[in-house]
Amino acid sequence: MNTKTVAVMAAASLLTAGAAGCGGTQGSSAASTSSGHVNITFMEAMSSGTLAPAMEHLTSEFNRTHKNITVTLEVQASYSTLEAKEQASIAAGNPPTIGQAYEDWAATYAKSGAIVPLASYVHGSNGVSSTYISSMYKGVWKDQFLPGGKLYMWPFNKSDFVMYYNANRLQQQHLAVPTTWTQFMSVTHSLTSSSHGTWGFSMDPGTSSSAANGTYLYVALLRAYGGNLMVNGRVAFASQAGVRAMNVLKTMYDNGSMKLGTNYPGQTALGAEHGAFDLSTIASYYYNNEAIAGKFTMGVAALPKGPAGEGNVLQGTNIVMFSKATSAERSAAWTFMKWLTEPQQTAYWAEHTGYLPVTTQANPLMATYFASHPYQKIAAESLQYALPAPAEPGWTEGIGTIATAIQEVLLQNKPVQQVLTQEQAAAQTYVNQGG
Amino acid sequence: MSQNPSAQFVRRRMREYFTAYLYLTPSGLVFLVFTLLPALFVLYISLFNWNFLNESLSRWVGLGNYRDLVTSGQFWHSLLITAYFLIGTVPVGVILALVIAMFLMDQVPGRALVRLAVFAPYVTPVVATSIIWLWIFNPEYGLLNALLHLLHLPELGWLQSPHWALIGIIIFTLWHSLGFSVIIFLAGLSGISTELREASRIDGATRLQELRHVVWPLLSPITLFVLVISTIGALQAFTQFYTMTAGGPLASTTTTSYLLYTLAFIFYNTGHAAALAVILFLIIGGLTLVQMGVSRRRTFYQ
Repeated sequence: MNTKTVAVMAAASLLTAGAAGCGGTQGSSAASTSSGHVNITFMEAMSSGTLAPAMEHLTSEFNRTHKNITVTLEVQASYSTLEAKEQASIAAGNPPTIGQAYEDWAATYAKSGAIVPLASYVHGSNGVSSTYISSMYKGVWKDQFLPGGKLYMWPFNKSDFVMYYNANRLQQQHLAVPTTWTQFMSVTHSLTSSSHGTWGFSMDPGTSSSAANGTYLYVALLRAYGGNLMVNGRVAFASQAGVRAMNVLKTMYDNGSMKLGTNYPGQTALGAEHGAFDLSTIASYYYNNEAIAGKFTMGVAALPKGPAGEGNVLQGTNIVMFSKATSAERSAAWTFMKWLTEPQQTAYWAEHTGYLPVTTQANPLMATYFASHPYQKIAAESLQYALPAPAEPGWTEGIGTIATAIQEVLLQNKPVQQVLTQEQAAAQTYVNQGG
Repeated sequence: MSQNPSAQFVRRRMREYFTAYLYLTPSGLVFLVFTLLPALFVLYISLFNWNFLNESLSRWVGLGNYRDLVTSGQFWHSLLITAYFLIGTVPVGVILALVIAMFLMDQVPGRALVRLAVFAPYVTPVVATSIIWLWIFNPEYGLLNALLHLLHLPELGWLQSPHWALIGIIIFTLWHSLGFSVIIFLAGLSGISTELREASRIDGATRLQELRHVVWPLLSPITLFVLVISTIGALQAFTQFYTMTAGGPLASTTTTSYLLYTLAFIFYNTGHAAALAVILFLIIGGLTLVQMGVSRRRTFYQ
């Protein structure tokens, strides 16, 4: 090998190295002082729109009312940055005291011993009452556990799916707001016209590496038809309900009433008056309104029901406590976590951000708000049907198999049952490998 | 008393070596810390079922990660996609760039404007322009489908279609990167002595013969350079896949680089990702060696 060859190969390897991302973090570690004052850090991604001021207000309010604890926020620009930073800080042995986490992140952290179970805090002397626990939305409470039944998370910013629609179009066509999936299919079909360039709605099916609204829409449909993602620890979406749910999507795609896209296509199509509906989370309300820019009245309703009632998917994150924290920091952090979910704070958070309160105890405090923001009430009522995604370490990959299944059925016309069976097996393999 | 001249020579040489290495130390250290050591570390972790959150839980698997990769359909599929992308961008890109460069060498009106138009995309950020192209490719509202509609041609799904997504990305990549190759070819063409071309013309060579027997051989070092750089670029292309399709639909745009990213930074499957990085390095190194070997025999230096 001559010098030139070596030089070119070195250049090649240099470029290869450059292509790989490198992340680092300067995690400011929490510290407790000798005076009994405890400093804790909360790594979070509530950085855009109304989220940042609401988060800052709550934190300073907590710091003001809890003289011996100081919470410092470590704000990240997005969930993906947050995840990278949390992972990097754990790997570097310098994590924050607490952090926002999705269920599958928590599962991965727990598997590596990076977070601590919270049962001793939740049920301890400084814990919450059983009345409080029973006032939490069922799905939200269930969402705090990892497989094996251990309580590892505490709820924070939760949302669920609703149906946005162009109220003017429905009115012009004398169509009622659909309340069942059968009605939804017929309404979207009757609003579809290739000559007018209009259709029912657009959705993003997601990819094998990242789930999107369309992926969750299938999960909501699956539940509405009586199915489940997992039954007794086994992936189970290739059921009869799974097939029926997929056929709903296939029918709508084949007759042109549903189109696929990327980057929030439902919002774009609704805003551009091509699509009449958008199925996405209540947290999209603000952004959908921006896209519509006053061109028409946007209606909000609960997701349509199936034979088994409304199926919905719980979205948003919880809070986890990292195991590097000292016991003083842990109890201080728990005090903060518990405080955040008390009725007054969860109501403040919901009213200022569009997320949902985690306990029904907040509802009386939010009566005025619900009266002026009826869509939030609709979303809050749907919380009772909103179930979390399985908190399996392999589920990040697992949910991707649903995105693949949707595309194989819609774009490649493969038989529904065969695709679902095959992708269910793939998802099971991921769950087995991750667990 | 005079010193032994050979000892003096050795001492002077030693001092020169020392000075030279001293000057090389800063860049050497940067290379060592940021490239060589991480690269060796990648090789090391590729032999483990690596738990990057808690290294003590990492398990030695030997060549297990490599075995898993070469026996997985995902890996071979990504290589196939990479090969399609390579063929779609490198040979096509080199030929297009050469044709455009030759056209731009002639005294055509508006030459400066065309040069600017060809080169401008290259200096734009891939992230920003790929998002613009995302809209151009949009099947419902996009410019391309509007054009096809105007020409009474069937509209395409572009990035939403497993058949067209990769072609869409190839079109974007060519648009974005062509300017660089064109400029290099222009430089190469300007470097060819006019005497040689005139001599061939006096000898009665046609324009095509002149191109085939004079210009093309003399351009071979430039072509080699463009070929090597575009190949490396194509093998490492990532941003447009990330922003435009995220590897989809149905893995139709999951190249080996993108697969590496998903394994490493989405699924945190560190061991497999490291093994894939090593394989990718071997592929790039191997291809570069082949290119160097082949072209050494066919490259003419003036």
